[in-house]
Amino acid sequence: MLYKILIVDDEPLVKDLFIDLFKKEDCQTIACGTGEEALIELKKESFDVVLLDIKLPGISGLEVLKNIRDTDKKLPVIMITGFGFDEELITKSKQLGCSGYIGKNMPVAQIIITFKQFVKDALEKI
Amino acid sequence: MGVRFPSPAKINMKTDVKMELDNLVENAAVIVLYLDTKGNILLCNKKTESVLELNRTEIINKNWLNVLFNDANSVMKREMFKAVLEDSINYKRAKDFRCHILNKNGVEKLISWNVSPILDKNNRIEASALFGQDITEIEERETSVKNIDDSLKNIFSSIKEYALYVINLDSNITYFGMGSEAMLGWNKRDIIFKHASILHNAGDPAFNLALILEHVRLFGKYEIEAELITKNQEVVPALLTVNQFLDSAGKLIGYIFIAKDMTERKKLEFQIFQAEKLAALGQLSAGMAHEINNPLFVISGRLEMLKDEELNQKVKDNLMLIDSQVDRIRKLVDRILKFARKSTLVLEAINVNEVIEMVLPLINYNKMSIAKIEIEKTFEKNMPEIKGDLHQLQEVFLNILINAYQSMPNGGKVKIITSNFKNLYAQIQIIDTGIGIASKHLKDIFMPFFSTKSDGTGLGLSICHNIIKNHNGSIELESQINQGSTFTIRLPFI
Repeated sequence: MLYKILIVDDEPLVKDLFIDLFKKEDCQTIACGTGEEALIELKKESFDVVLLDIKLPGISGLEVLKNIRDTDKKLPVIMITGFGFDEELITKSKQLGCSGYIGKNMPVAQIIITFKQFVKDALEKI
Repeated sequence: MGVRFPSPAKINMKTDVKMELDNLVENAAVIVLYLDTKGNILLCNKKTESVLELNRTEIINKNWLNVLFNDANSVMKREMFKAVLEDSINYKRAKDFRCHILNKNGVEKLISWNVSPILDKNNRIEASALFGQDITEIEERETSVKNIDDSLKNIFSSIKEYALYVINLDSNITYFGMGSEAMLGWNKRDIIFKHASILHNAGDPAFNLALILEHVRLFGKYEIEAELITKNQEVVPALLTVNQFLDSAGKLIGYIFIAKDMTERKKLEFQIFQAEKLAALGQLSAGMAHEINNPLFVISGRLEMLKDEELNQKVKDNLMLIDSQVDRIRKLVDRILKFARKSTLVLEAINVNEVIEMVLPLINYNKMSIAKIEIEKTFEKNMPEIKGDLHQLQEVFLNILINAYQSMPNGGKVKIITSNFKNLYAQIQIIDTGIGIASKHLKDIFMPFFSTKSDGTGLGLSICHNIIKNHNGSIELESQINQGSTFTIRLPFI
């Protein structure tokens, strides 16, 4: 197994796609649909990386990120959003300590490559 | 004819008539001078002393010209007055003359003179009588009234934002003042007595001149937003106030129109409306783009996974087609997001001339110039810097230049002029000789998804508009079909 990934996205079909895509990459995945669920999941288990959608019902991805960083400075968290490369969102995510940022408007193959690159960089820093 | 006056020989005669005359002359409110034929003053009255501020010994037996004109600057007046007197003697008739004199204390007085020859029994000239009325104050009053009149005229003609015109009861224009000529293009002389309908838009359903005048006649006043028509048949939006025109007896003799030019206001209102509309559209677009991106991501992700499957060629071809179309949608959504995004500006001091120089080589990479297109640059040499985002401004100029090139498929000329606009803005004008844009499309040209090109997304200019607005600048387009287009961009100096 390459990584154990927590996928946080409220769109069931997007979640399913990520699960299938990462299965092919030999990753183990657990998926949830809200920020609240994600925080509970993170308390229960340990993960190598979190793939976190920014726009979520309830608390937003940015708030989840802030919450994670309050207790864990090292866990790689990659933000993902349907808004594409929005400078404001990128700046905020960086300020809150994300490990990477991916737009859903990128071609899928590129998303996987970029994701793996971000995780590798983040783990090397540790 | 000359006035009958006591002859010098009889002056010493003590008669009742003489006493009365003496009194009359002495106390007259006009200067009275009595001259012999040589021009020596034989007699004067109190008024003479008071106006000239001389006493009698300084007047009597002196030459009249020396008494009245004792300063060197009065040579002309002196000669003229002398000629008038000679004239009156030669033709034996009274003459009038008006001139300024300086009294002993150097105070200038304006005197209206009457010169009358005195004839003896044989109708020969015996002497001359000069009557002079001091009209200094009257003149000053008249002058000040005239000055007020003049300055009122100047005040009226200086007000350019308002046209003031008056029509009579037959609706013919009888007065055309204030800013009327400037606003409506008519010369006063050409429009007087023309019917008022010439100034008003007959096609405007809200404007019925006869009804408005009837309203004013009954209720005194009417205010309406109306369209006025200039001599060149251009429409001027105006706020029109119509009042009764009454004579001094209070009788209605016409109507007074005061029109305020609302062109700038309308323009501003339109810009605000446009900006609000764009902001709302931006929000809507961002939301929509986000919602489209998710299913699009699922589709393309599933397609990606199918690529590894064993499939027959026909299915593979179809999947390729779906993939390319998904890619097309993705790019469009990207453009929409770019339009909608309120991206933060990375501000730095920028010389707009340099930005344009950076952009010009990029056009060639865009496979634009199959046809011959000439570029003419006229740059302001001492252009102050502006504060701007270099990349975003490059995108604006590139976009406009590409549009210019595309509008000239058979070649043409692009003029790029930069200038200092009122020491406030860097002004950049990009002028092409292309196919132009119909006037009915001009107001929509910066709206997203509006395009006059068959293959345009209609986002380029709306993105430019947003970028310039974010820089607190302005962008305008003037265009005429088959003549070309002029983009004018203004960016505030630091």
